[in-house]
Amino acid sequence: MTAFELDWSRSAGRRRLLLIFLVLAPTFIACGTMASILPSRGGSPLEIVLLAVFAVLFAWISVGFWTALMGFFLLLQRRNRYSVSNVCEGLGYSIDDPQARTAVLIPIYNEDVKRVFAGLKTVYDSLAATGSLDRFDFFVLSDTTDPDVWVQEEEGWHRFCTEQDAFGRVFYRKRRSNAKRKSGNVADFCRRWGKNYRYMIVFDADSIMAGRTMVRMVQMMEARPDIGILQTPPAGVNRETLLARAQQFANRVYGPMFAAGLHFWQLGDAQYWGHNAIIRVEPFIRHCELPRLPGKGPLGGDILSHDFVESALMRRAGYGVWLAYDLDGSYEETPPTLLDELKRDRRWCQGNLQHLRLIFSRGFFPAHRALFLNGILSYGSALLWLAFLLISSAQAVAEVYLEPVYFPDTKTLFPQWPVWRPHWALALLGSTAVLLFLPKFFSYALALLRDPAARLYGGRLRLACGILLEVALSTLLAPVRMLHHSVFILSTVMGRNVGWPTQSRDDRGTPWADAADVHWWGTTLGILWGALVYLTNPSFFRWISPIIISLALSIPLSVLTSRASLGKAFRRAGLFTTPEETEPPLELRELAKTLQEEAPYSPLPLSPRQGFLRAVTDPCVHALHTSLLLRYKKGAPAREEARQALVEKALLSGPDSLSAKEKMALLNDPFHLAELHRRVWELEDEKQAARWGLSQPPVD
Amino acid sequence: MTSIRDTDRWRISRDRVLLYVRALNLPPYKGLDLAVESLKRTGPSSAAESMESLRALLKEHGLDRGVLDSEGKHLASVPPLNRSVMVPEELDRVPWRTSFVQFLRRWKNDLFGKGCAR
Repeated sequence: MTAFELDWSRSAGRRRLLLIFLVLAPTFIACGTMASILPSRGGSPLEIVLLAVFAVLFAWISVGFWTALMGFFLLLQRRNRYSVSNVCEGLGYSIDDPQARTAVLIPIYNEDVKRVFAGLKTVYDSLAATGSLDRFDFFVLSDTTDPDVWVQEEEGWHRFCTEQDAFGRVFYRKRRSNAKRKSGNVADFCRRWGKNYRYMIVFDADSIMAGRTMVRMVQMMEARPDIGILQTPPAGVNRETLLARAQQFANRVYGPMFAAGLHFWQLGDAQYWGHNAIIRVEPFIRHCELPRLPGKGPLGGDILSHDFVESALMRRAGYGVWLAYDLDGSYEETPPTLLDELKRDRRWCQGNLQHLRLIFSRGFFPAHRALFLNGILSYGSALLWLAFLLISSAQAVAEVYLEPVYFPDTKTLFPQWPVWRPHWALALLGSTAVLLFLPKFFSYALALLRDPAARLYGGRLRLACGILLEVALSTLLAPVRMLHHSVFILSTVMGRNVGWPTQSRDDRGTPWADAADVHWWGTTLGILWGALVYLTNPSFFRWISPIIISLALSIPLSVLTSRASLGKAFRRAGLFTTPEETEPPLELRELAKTLQEEAPYSPLPLSPRQGFLRAVTDPCVHALHTSLLLRYKKGAPAREEARQALVEKALLSGPDSLSAKEKMALLNDPFHLAELHRRVWELEDEKQAARWGLSQPPVD
Repeated sequence: MTSIRDTDRWRISRDRVLLYVRALNLPPYKGLDLAVESLKRTGPSSAAESMESLRALLKEHGLDRGVLDSEGKHLASVPPLNRSVMVPEELDRVPWRTSFVQFLRRWKNDLFGKGCAR
């Protein structure tokens, strides 16, 4: 261990002891206050449960508060001796060692192909502008299962390489099996070509990074051989729906402070978030292959939230995992609607709960065990909040129907009167609110300290209004999220597995019917809950009304926050404005420009999205697709016959008669695909030919 | 003398061949020359015959070899393999149980000797 490593690990130990004290002391005081508010002063079994849940929740929000506070102070300092970016002071944007080669990995799964390659072009051009492009190769790693998207990806790759003269630098690999999902996709790359590279930068399908940021990351890894993973904090950009714009705003205003705070506590024991990070390939190959968890059900099998485990494994192997909190030029796109966010959370929830089985694994550092716990509590806290609210409601209802015990079994001189201390309750509520909302004020102060006019946020007033509106919106949505996260946990524990749904990355919005389908039971629960509390204990209803109102309004909330028109209206009013909107970086401008480009000319009346049809009919696409199918061997006679039957079926009944699986089978078989291509072009019947895009169908 | 039906078939063949060469993304004259040549070769015929003739012509001109790279080699979208292995490291998820079992085993060995442990 070097002197620096010893130094930071000692500092980290001291800081974490401080955090434990800062969290536990106020929690202890708050629990005492809470107990004194309760009718039996925390003496009844129900109240003991309530206090236990309250203690966990109070401690949980305290961690967030102290993280924000430390981030605030860290960002006020001019220099942080533990910042990884210190090593880049005075460096240009070149990478000296020609052996320091980096692979940029873009794992994709049924994504919008145009967006993927527009993003690739942006990053490629940005890197070219630094002059260090020759140190990087790009890999589009496809796990796509949709036959149309697969062909589009091939076309996209070929067009990109032709236009940019990037053959030999930009690669495309389609995996037949989706084993272990994204982590398996990256591991597959490592096994095949990992030895060619010293580093890999892992993207998400919607990630964008500036070339200079990527060069800086490589320089940092070169200067600090003790680092195994270096994570950047990506800023949310490019979405227009109200929800996404509010999240982008929150991410941009509060995010840097929280990232700095995380860095303060974690130092070299940070997390890997799965994308927008650089990884040292050699130790990753040696130490970070994920095992399958034994057993069936949601908590067994492939590890879904692989990133947390990979960082823990990397740390266990002796390499640091750092967060480059002060590195900009790293972007991602947030889910556009509440339904998309919940869909993603369902997957993350299951992944994080799997960590319950890893938390005591031998060799993991305590900090990473704490991060596992933190991830579990990200969703577990929702269930605890729900339990807390339900128990509180039950207590309030019970108060009405159960007569107080004035003379308990133990003999006393005086009766024990139930005492209600509203000022204590308000003090407790106030302190909880301070923990939750004071960090927002710190962020505001920080923004003004950096730029007193807050120009990039639309001005001081708009920034303040944006924060207030974001607080209001997140308060309204919190109960809806709480309810769904609770259900996710319960359904995971009860054994319901989650699939691998494609993520929506556009601003289409949520139709009313879809919102009603997802939120009807939450709305019903909210109304029934509210009615019960109101009819039995109206004074308690006032306390719980924010939760009830939010749940009752969950359908319109979900629909309205998914509207891009509303997001744009807020933008016109200068609200939720982010620096990336006020002064878009070159990369985001280029991305928008590329996305505007029209699809290339084709004489065939087929949309670019009709990938399978194009692979069968369009001779160029057909030739490209069959050229990229490597080393195909004819299969067993039974399989060949089945494929031949598919060809006959397709010719007789048209492409729509084939299922996605059948289309994939044909696309994987160049011989039968070639036969289909030949015979489609030989079709005499105009109606049949029209199904394949060869002519307009005749008018009867 | 060709019937109306034959003329229609020939028109369909003409359109099919023309569409194919247009879709091939060849230089304009080259594509049209090939289409004309294939139609001349077959005369009034079905789409299947015309397309077969066109394919033969494409082969003669070396235009049926799929997509090639700048050096005329078979196009590959991935670099040559340079394989390594990734083996999951042992993840002892219940270290207290393992320690306890190891302790029992050691204790048993100490008491009864290694042969007995086997």
